[in-house]
Amino acid sequence: MELFLNEFESFVGVNFWTMIFAWCNLIILYVFLRKLLFKPVKKMIDDRQREIDDMYAGAEKNEADAARLKAEYEEKLSSAEAESEDIIRTATRRAQLKEEEILRDAGVEAARIIERAEEEITLEKRRIINEAKDEVSDIALGIARAVIERDIDRAEHDKLIDDFISGMGDGND
Amino acid sequence: MKLSVNGPKILVRITALYEKLGGIFGNLVTQTTVSIFLVTLILIIAAWALTRRLSKRPGRVQVVVEKLVGMLYNLVSDTMGKHNLKFAPYIGTIFLSSICGTLIGMTQIFRSTTGDLSVTAAWALVTTGMVWYNNIKNFGFKAWLRGFTEPIVVMTPMNIVSEIASPVSMAFRHFGNVAGGSVLTALIYGALSAATHALFSWLPDAVLSVFPPILQVGIPAFLSIYFDLFSGFVQAFVFSLLTMVYVGGACPPPEEIPERPRKKRKKDAA
Repeated sequence: MELFLNEFESFVGVNFWTMIFAWCNLIILYVFLRKLLFKPVKKMIDDRQREIDDMYAGAEKNEADAARLKAEYEEKLSSAEAESEDIIRTATRRAQLKEEEILRDAGVEAARIIERAEEEITLEKRRIINEAKDEVSDIALGIARAVIERDIDRAEHDKLIDDFISGMGDGND
Repeated sequence: MKLSVNGPKILVRITALYEKLGGIFGNLVTQTTVSIFLVTLILIIAAWALTRRLSKRPGRVQVVVEKLVGMLYNLVSDTMGKHNLKFAPYIGTIFLSSICGTLIGMTQIFRSTTGDLSVTAAWALVTTGMVWYNNIKNFGFKAWLRGFTEPIVVMTPMNIVSEIASPVSMAFRHFGNVAGGSVLTALIYGALSAATHALFSWLPDAVLSVFPPILQVGIPAFLSIYFDLFSGFVQAFVFSLLTMVYVGGACPPPEEIPERPRKKRKKDAA
């Protein structure tokens, strides 16, 4: 074995050992670079890409959810509006019914009151007439007593006067 | 003035083998071997250092590394198809090996690995091996052999020649560009040295013999931008691209691979 010869290989030539070393180093480099450089960096790029994709997908999903919720709420809101309108309409109708009922009741009551008042008036009228009759009969009796100076049978007398007055009342009524 | 263009210096020679089989098998370690191991070491350390602190929120370095790795994967995806992304680490390895192997020659201490035909030939043979392996794996041995007789049987010799020519052309293209660049650089240095001597020939001989070739400062740097940086990058790219195209051709999308019942049965059994 000779070391550090002062000799050179031919400029254009092939050396078997150099080729072997080239192959060995290519394999070593391939293994190391793949493990140290290409795989981890590529994985990092892919991971980040996946993360970004996930984030975008999540954001899109959230946006869709928000839109869905918004639509839902809007629908609910509009239905609530319809409902409130409905409630108001029902209440109005009920109020109208109540009003009518109250008015009707009031009418009935008033009629009843008037009727009763009329009855009372009639009774009063009758009472007053009766009183008047009594008074008239007393007066008539007094006058008659004075005229005939004799006391006649009271009951007969009353009857006489009643007949007289009722005959008069009939004519006047 | 004498200017010699040499291959890599021989560092270790196994005398017994050398006497029996000559330089191809006798010279164990050359300058190129040293560079090869150095490139491997540098790249592994760089890869380790660059990816030591990977995080979801990248720093400046990580952004650049991710950008480059992303470009690599995109390029492989565009050239070979999405189903061939598993080749991306190899393509990246060959690209980095090539470009670092070329650039290490700029130190002037180490020789470019790609300036040695052995290295580029070894890489080109790997490409050919991958093409053949994938062709046989995907289409079967018979279909691969039958492929040489297409479109007509008369074309067979030409197909075989082109199959052999592609690794040869790959190896020589890369080697030639880098080695040619180094030869040109050596020539320029020699010429500039001679020009310095001519320019300062009025100095006494004693001074002239130790006078530095000051014209060598500057001009080679600009040439180096082309011959080392640009050419090195282009050749690394071309080599990777050709590997992608050849291997990609042997690995069509899964739906285009014809069904082979024999292979399938084997897979089921396993």
